[in-house]
Amino acid sequence: MSMRKVAVVGAGMTKFVRRAQETAKELSWQAAHMALESCEMTMDDIEAVCLGTAPDSFDGIHMNGEYLSDGAGAWRKPFMRSYVGGGTGVFVPIQGWYHVASGLFDVVLVVAEEKMSSYYPHAQAAFLTIFDHTTERPLKPNLLWIFALEMNRYMSTYGIRKEDIALVSVQHKRNAADHPCALLGDPNITVEDVLNSETLAWPVQRYDVSPVSDGAVALVLAAEHVTKRVTDKPVWIEGVGWNLDTAHWTNRDLAYPRYVEYAARQAYEMAGIKEPRKEIHIAEPYDPFDYKALHHLEGLQLADRGQAAQLYVDGVAARDGDMPVCPSGGLLGVGNPIAAAGLMKIAELFWQLRGEAGERQVPGQPKRGLAQAWGDLMQVGTVVIMGR
Amino acid sequence: MTLLERDPKAAPAWRGELPVTSRYTFGLAGERFFRAIQEEGRILGTRCDGCARTYVPGTIFCERCLGELDKWVDVGKVGEVHTYTLLYEAPDGSQRETPEIVAFVRLGDGGLVHRLGEVEPEALAIGMSVQAVFKPIAEREGSILDIVYFRPI
Repeated sequence: MSMRKVAVVGAGMTKFVRRAQETAKELSWQAAHMALESCEMTMDDIEAVCLGTAPDSFDGIHMNGEYLSDGAGAWRKPFMRSYVGGGTGVFVPIQGWYHVASGLFDVVLVVAEEKMSSYYPHAQAAFLTIFDHTTERPLKPNLLWIFALEMNRYMSTYGIRKEDIALVSVQHKRNAADHPCALLGDPNITVEDVLNSETLAWPVQRYDVSPVSDGAVALVLAAEHVTKRVTDKPVWIEGVGWNLDTAHWTNRDLAYPRYVEYAARQAYEMAGIKEPRKEIHIAEPYDPFDYKALHHLEGLQLADRGQAAQLYVDGVAARDGDMPVCPSGGLLGVGNPIAAAGLMKIAELFWQLRGEAGERQVPGQPKRGLAQAWGDLMQVGTVVIMGR
Repeated sequence: MTLLERDPKAAPAWRGELPVTSRYTFGLAGERFFRAIQEEGRILGTRCDGCARTYVPGTIFCERCLGELDKWVDVGKVGEVHTYTLLYEAPDGSQRETPEIVAFVRLGDGGLVHRLGEVEPEALAIGMSVQAVFKPIAEREGSILDIVYFRPI
């Protein structure tokens, strides 16, 4: 395959908050505006726009992509919305990547937005609408107890203790205390705090879960010849991958995310990575729940099956460890405006690899990072590898 | 058979509901726009000098250049009927004797889709000037329906 090199050259991010006064399109605009300013570009430089936003029902408007298009800068541009549920935030930069890698466009604006607070009384009710109407919905499922089923299976399969899983939440929320856009950063949270928090659907407790949030993130992607002109600190998209497993609960391995493995293998192959545990310096796995970060690290081949918690126990996953995990603070700490949360991870790699992550900066001048998201009907994995 | 009648030969069906209730913020621009309607009976737009556009309703950004807009302008209550339609069939499928009239009313470089009142269908014309009729101030609630309709002048 002959594909052009693509770099991220600019990034912008709103605060992640519980309930934004801004409309969804105003949030999109704020992030897009910041991304353009960060690389001193204007809309005249932007040739196409890619937008990611998760279920329409959060924002409370159908065809939400079209609704958000003005805030995302789509006026009289080629525009496309992508949507793979929670995986969207790491899929939309892949979409932006192939817009540029293909040679079709030189500069693309990528925007991801979610405003979950519109849904009343709580965004969880929106998830009721994604399940099968005859076999599942009569039981009134929500994501908390759906994930509790998966978490229990994961714990039981490998004999993982709740207190070790709680370490994930503690570390991510502590990391988020250094993120200026974070909703739930807490430098003092402890494992006991997590274990003593309200049980929602056993084994899922309040602090095992990321918060519903409002926010937006945007990136500017550019082809190599443009990148050289606009920045001396390019961060290249070196590998991408995405993969869908069966949408049937009954037909999927709940203890191991095979679809994440396949997405990761696609990305590693593209990036020429043979030994991911040595070659990935920063990992931003998707962490809407603490156990999901572990689940995903295993799917990403960054830990053996059932062993990811050990990375936290041993300090490998700490910001100053051998392979920092979610130095941003992740969804557990920064917040989880669905599509925006995934793109936040890409923005974090951009800032980390450029040495611009401030208080969150991972030491040792990291050269390569990986971000991953997951979602849809809990069966999609999306992976992006970036390097400098 | 109208759209609203059920076919007795249809397949057996499972009935379910999707509970959807939303609370929408007005947004930064909407706060300003609807407060002006409610408290002052004024219609506000924002101006992008670079793109030479006046957005109505006002927005905090220009969709063309993505620049920030903070220059608010009163565009007056009078606009021009850009196009209109006569709604003979009601949402419940019944026929109205007198149609409801809705129009796109041009204000600045934008405008509002709204109802027309105090006018007979025969008197309608594209290009006619119409003026916003507001509810009494005590009855306004910061809604687009604080404008009852536009009427010819």
